Amino acid sequence: MRPRRALRRPIPLRAPPGERQKGSESRPSPLRPEWVDGQPTLAQITDEVARPLSGVPGAGWFACFAASGLAFLIGATCVSYQIATGIGTWGLNKSVGWAFDITNFVFWIGIGHAGTLISAILLLFRQKWRTSINRSAEAMTIFAVMCAALFPLIHMGRPWLAFWMMPFPNTRGPLWVNFRSPLVWDVFAINTYLTISLVFWYLGMIPDFAALRDRAIGKVKKLAYRLASLGWNGSHRTWHRYEMACLILAGLATPLVLSVHSIVSMDFATSVLSGWHTTIFPPYFVAGAVYSGFGMVLTLLIITRRVMNLERYITLHHLDRMAKIMLLTGSIVAFAYATEFFTAWYSGNPYERATFLNRAFGPYAWAFWTMVACNVFMPQLLWRQRVRRSVPLLFAISILVNVGMWFERFVIIVTSLHRGYLPSSWVMYKPTVIEVGTLIGSFGLFFTCFLLFIRFLPMIAMWEIRGLVGAKAAVRAEEEPAGA
Amino acid sequence: MPLLNPPRGDRIYWKSVDELQADSSPLAERQREFAEPLPWQAGAAPAAPGLSRRDLLTLMGFSLTAANLACSRAPVEKAIPFLNKPEELTPGVANWYATTCGGCSAGCPLLVKTRDGRPIKIEGNPDSPRFGGGTCAAGQATVLSLYDEDRLRGPLWIGQPTSWDAIDAWIVPRVSAALAREGGVALLSGPVLSPTTRELIAGWADLHPSFQHVVYEPRSLSAVRRAHEQAYGAAVVPHFRFDRARVIVGIEADFLGTWLSPVEFTHHYARHRVPDAPGFVSLHVQFESGLSLTGANADRRVPITPSQRGLVALALLRALRLEARLEPLVPEPPAAAVDRRQIEAIAKELWLARGESLLVSGAPEVSTQVLVAAANDLLGNVGRTLELDRPSLQSQADDAAVERLIQSMDRGDIHVLIVHGVNPVYDHPESARFVRAVEKVALSLSLSDRLDETAACLHGVCPDHHFLEAWNDAEPLASVYSLAQPTIAPLFDTRAAQESLLTWIGGPSDEKADYRTVLRDHWRRNIHPQQTRYHELDELWDRTLQAGVLDLSGASAREVASGDFEDDLPAAAQRALEHFREGQANQTARLHELHLYESVALRDGRQANNPWLQELPDPITKLTWGNCASISPALAASQDLADGDVVALVHGRTRLELPVLVQPGQQEHTISVPVGYGRTRGKVAGRLGTNAYPMAPLRDGLRGAARIGVALEKTGRREALATTQTHHSMEGRPIVREATLAEYRLNPAAGNEERGDQATLWKEHPEADHLWGLAIDLSTCTGCSACVVACQAENNVPVVGKDEVRRGREMHWIRLDRYYAGGAENPDTVFQPMMCQHCNNAPCETVCPVLATVHSSDGLNQQIYNRCVGTRYCENNCPYKVRRFNWFNYAHNARFDYDMNSALGTMVLNPDVVVRSRGVMEKCSLCVQRIQAAKLTAKQQGRPLVDGDAQTACQQACPAQAIVFGDFKDPRSRLAHLRTDARHYHVLAELGTRPNVGYLSKIRNRPGGMR
Repeated sequence: MRPRRALRRPIPLRAPPGERQKGSESRPSPLRPEWVDGQPTLAQITDEVARPLSGVPGAGWFACFAASGLAFLIGATCVSYQIATGIGTWGLNKSVGWAFDITNFVFWIGIGHAGTLISAILLLFRQKWRTSINRSAEAMTIFAVMCAALFPLIHMGRPWLAFWMMPFPNTRGPLWVNFRSPLVWDVFAINTYLTISLVFWYLGMIPDFAALRDRAIGKVKKLAYRLASLGWNGSHRTWHRYEMACLILAGLATPLVLSVHSIVSMDFATSVLSGWHTTIFPPYFVAGAVYSGFGMVLTLLIITRRVMNLERYITLHHLDRMAKIMLLTGSIVAFAYATEFFTAWYSGNPYERATFLNRAFGPYAWAFWTMVACNVFMPQLLWRQRVRRSVPLLFAISILVNVGMWFERFVIIVTSLHRGYLPSSWVMYKPTVIEVGTLIGSFGLFFTCFLLFIRFLPMIAMWEIRGLVGAKAAVRAEEEPAGA
Repeated sequence: MPLLNPPRGDRIYWKSVDELQADSSPLAERQREFAEPLPWQAGAAPAAPGLSRRDLLTLMGFSLTAANLACSRAPVEKAIPFLNKPEELTPGVANWYATTCGGCSAGCPLLVKTRDGRPIKIEGNPDSPRFGGGTCAAGQATVLSLYDEDRLRGPLWIGQPTSWDAIDAWIVPRVSAALAREGGVALLSGPVLSPTTRELIAGWADLHPSFQHVVYEPRSLSAVRRAHEQAYGAAVVPHFRFDRARVIVGIEADFLGTWLSPVEFTHHYARHRVPDAPGFVSLHVQFESGLSLTGANADRRVPITPSQRGLVALALLRALRLEARLEPLVPEPPAAAVDRRQIEAIAKELWLARGESLLVSGAPEVSTQVLVAAANDLLGNVGRTLELDRPSLQSQADDAAVERLIQSMDRGDIHVLIVHGVNPVYDHPESARFVRAVEKVALSLSLSDRLDETAACLHGVCPDHHFLEAWNDAEPLASVYSLAQPTIAPLFDTRAAQESLLTWIGGPSDEKADYRTVLRDHWRRNIHPQQTRYHELDELWDRTLQAGVLDLSGASAREVASGDFEDDLPAAAQRALEHFREGQANQTARLHELHLYESVALRDGRQANNPWLQELPDPITKLTWGNCASISPALAASQDLADGDVVALVHGRTRLELPVLVQPGQQEHTISVPVGYGRTRGKVAGRLGTNAYPMAPLRDGLRGAARIGVALEKTGRREALATTQTHHSMEGRPIVREATLAEYRLNPAAGNEERGDQATLWKEHPEADHLWGLAIDLSTCTGCSACVVACQAENNVPVVGKDEVRRGREMHWIRLDRYYAGGAENPDTVFQPMMCQHCNNAPCETVCPVLATVHSSDGLNQQIYNRCVGTRYCENNCPYKVRRFNWFNYAHNARFDYDMNSALGTMVLNPDVVVRSRGVMEKCSLCVQRIQAAKLTAKQQGRPLVDGDAQTACQQACPAQAIVFGDFKDPRSRLAHLRTDARHYHVLAELGTRPNVGYLSKIRNRPGGMR
């Protein structure tokens, strides 16, 4: 057997922050479960996580990749046709200027929120259970933000002039962007978010790249991982600085969890449209984003832990915790819905009232009640532990959460626009094949990226898991002699 | 040197012995340079398959040249200014010419704007006191018909292009021969407004007994003419004076929309619709079957079936006679047919306004018209609100003569038929009979400018000019003249209809026919002597040509006054009763009455190929690009029909398949269908909607517009209606504010108590010399939609087509919002022109990420197309939903093959306004190009701008003058006055948008006893 340099690193003695000082908390208990099943050795962890990266993936992976690749191609075709022909290939009209495009945008931005929440906020709160899911959640964030950023680009009438949204010195006279426009805030918010998420994600992978570098056999692979690991040597000093950097970035990323979706919600909140012009939107949107983000994390992890045989690391305890967060944020969302209706009634504003009555009982009532069923009633199932620990049920719920959250954005956008202030301009909106194809394409892009990610990058933070297991092993080692 | 040609004679020259003896082939053959014969030589063998050497060289040479050409730069197209600038033509400066509209037979005087020699915009001639400066939608659109792709490029003979000389050489001897025989030549035309042409025709009829002129109209007023002939001995259509009528009662006459002379009538009618009108505020009651534009504006509207019209006239006449304490003479109508109390209340109002009231009916039954004429006579209206001595000449059709013509054609008595300006194969109810009759005519000619349904059936088509290319004159009302002059040289090889006729039939002189000379000659002989103002004919001619109009109506030939009426009223009443009973008998759960009407956009269908008109939403149904069957909500409920269900209307062998539209205000037992659609020819018009003309009855030599006993059958199919408005209630929102006249007199701010203008913490926006804005009076706006087409012409607004309208993507910068209030059986209707409100705190401006929509210093909300990236955020955030997005490239795109896809069609574009590309937002600019032009003119003249210098296109086109544009900073402007009016308000003022466009509330004259 080849000697593994990775094993010579001092990890077992040095767990990441949060684990070291609180060894006593690591005792098995119903409230504080084991986050890794079966007490694998440190070598086993590296082996099991890195295995998919070296071998040929299984048929399941290929099937998924083919499906998502096809979806991506459908989307690429639709977008190309739309850009070549005009936005008229969508179903928008004189009153409904946004529909699928911005619905998808807000939906994907929302999905992205779970990643940052898990990797930044839960890190600061020292939630150990995040360790086995944070990497894939971060990857999901980045892919989701990529999908999201696509829509503001392609929804423009003249997307080739999209760079005009950036404030840059130009030869067009004193021509600047409009800093009063929430769309400009969006540009900054999304770019900041994408940048920080990418850096954070990459930084988190450096020790794992080093481990992969040490395991790699092929020359090309070795070189690639070497370059990616930035000369990581595993020294104490490196680890120290590394952990500091992680904490600082987590601190920087934390406000972004709140800011990005708040700013996205201001696209609506700052308008004059009834149904959009609501001060409750920023917190409401953030809660919804976390809700849908966890839904998507659950969907992805339930598939991946099965396909990649990682049930040991992504345990039922993890799923249970995520379900609890969904229960919490889902309830916040439900409360926000109720508040909106209350405000519409209590304000006495006839336009506001009409908009909300139209939402609930108008021609798009089916979309509204789909949203209510998925976002208000369904999370209530999660009060029961049996549901939270049933993988098939959770899988179904996680998908329905995202259906509900997609419809939430659709309902907010379309029902407010299609019946505005002047009834003479009331129209119906109907999506075209191109719009549906573009939505499918965005899912294709997302899953294609995610499948490539689990194929080529370690989808579980090996070093953190090793830290977790190692810390426990150290505790056990201390306790055993005493008990003997 | 080789011998290219075989040597003559038998001598053969050789160069060496070797050559002479080399082989056995004849020397002559070897001496030829080319082994195979040259292609052009006689006896050349057929080319061998494959390339010959010469072909190869040819192809190589061609390829090389082609490749070189392809690689070279495209030729530089330079815009070169005129070397010798034509007089009166400055590039970039518009010229205006006065002319007369040929869009319908109303003959409104026009001013035509030409740029660089191209007419691009039509405006009413404000110098005309009768017609005002307004126009109608159809008139506005005539300029696009000039650039219609379907216009013929030259004369046709049996469908093949030919030359004028050739076609004349064929026609002239045959026409001469026919004229020499009995019953030879017939001219079938529409109403001839031109006195010169009328004189020519009369001259021909005098000269040749075999020449006859028959006037045909798809919607004729023959009944009116016949009734007046019976009653007063003069077969005329009276000239109605709505400006003098205190009480107006209309019985199925859409005089504000389509009937006779709508621009003039609207101009007069609107004067007395404002609550502070000089003199009086008129009271208008309308009896009608379908909801028409006129009915929508009436103070009281009563839905009736078509067969009830005569009874309404009868009941009114009886009530009036009783009111006048005269013997009733006419029997009482059945109690079920009319609401007696209502009729008595109306009669009382009419009687109180004796001499200042007006009954007007478009019903095509002589009996109804006789009763109406009798009522007007009794009221003393003749000579006051309706003038018989100065009649209208806008409708001259004689249905009986048309019928006689068809019969004589069928007998083979007509040898030459000339069809001018009418299309009976399309719009005659029995068009198959007409076609069969035409086939028996030896020589049939059309003067149509396009190959329409009729022209396609005839032998020759000798295209007339478009009226904007032609000389002419017009006398729409007796002694009210206007001239028409060419505004552009004929685009195609066309010839004035009069010149064609002069060539064939012969003119006053033997010289080559020149209609302008004939015209001047007529004016010299007939019109110049009628006036004393201008001594010289040249002066009269030049002045009239410049001004466009000449009103000599002061000098009247004969006087007809009230009391001259003589007719058999009981007989007329009897016929009205019979008509009603017949209608009743044919009214069951399955059988309905069908009412045919003209739509505001297409009228009788002659301009059906005009995409502007096809896309113009009907003011009432809001339908574009096709027609529908309007049914009442009650019928829809009982038959379980909804908007878009296709039904078949069946009567005998005639079957119309149409989608239904549930129309509030529609009479319960009546189905209304607009005519003018269902053309079989025309690039734009073909196959749009259904032709309803075959349903029109021909009865007693009169052409009707209603059919009894029409069955309604479901087909089970559905067709999505291309409507621009799908919701018809204001939902209780204070968008259009209204009050009754009584309420207004108590409190001028009635209905407008909450102005909603909020205090603001912001600094008032612009700090410049001007603050432009609009005020729109909803009391006078009739909803005629002229402004919509005017705006489209002025601002190069694209046409998007039926499918895009269905998707809710029409591009009009100004729209007419139409709302109903009250019950669906007979609701009140309000119209509201809605365009960009030019908000001072504009919601669109704050949200645009790239500052593509900004506020100008003079209060305009400007859209900068170059900067727009098309996020549509502004569209979403506009509470008025007036922003229009270019979903596609609408210009030069085969997908939108309307006016902007051809070199010809784009000639109509206004060079002052950019044609927008795809992906950008657009909206009303308040005609900023006109404001700039007015500013420049004032600056050049060294004076400040005065109120009225700049007019927006919508304001200019409005026949009711409901739209006022101006400068709020000018305290003397009309706008500044209107802003302080108690009726003035801003739509959605509570949002704090502070618009520069305001509205004046609608006041209805609704006396208490009228309900």
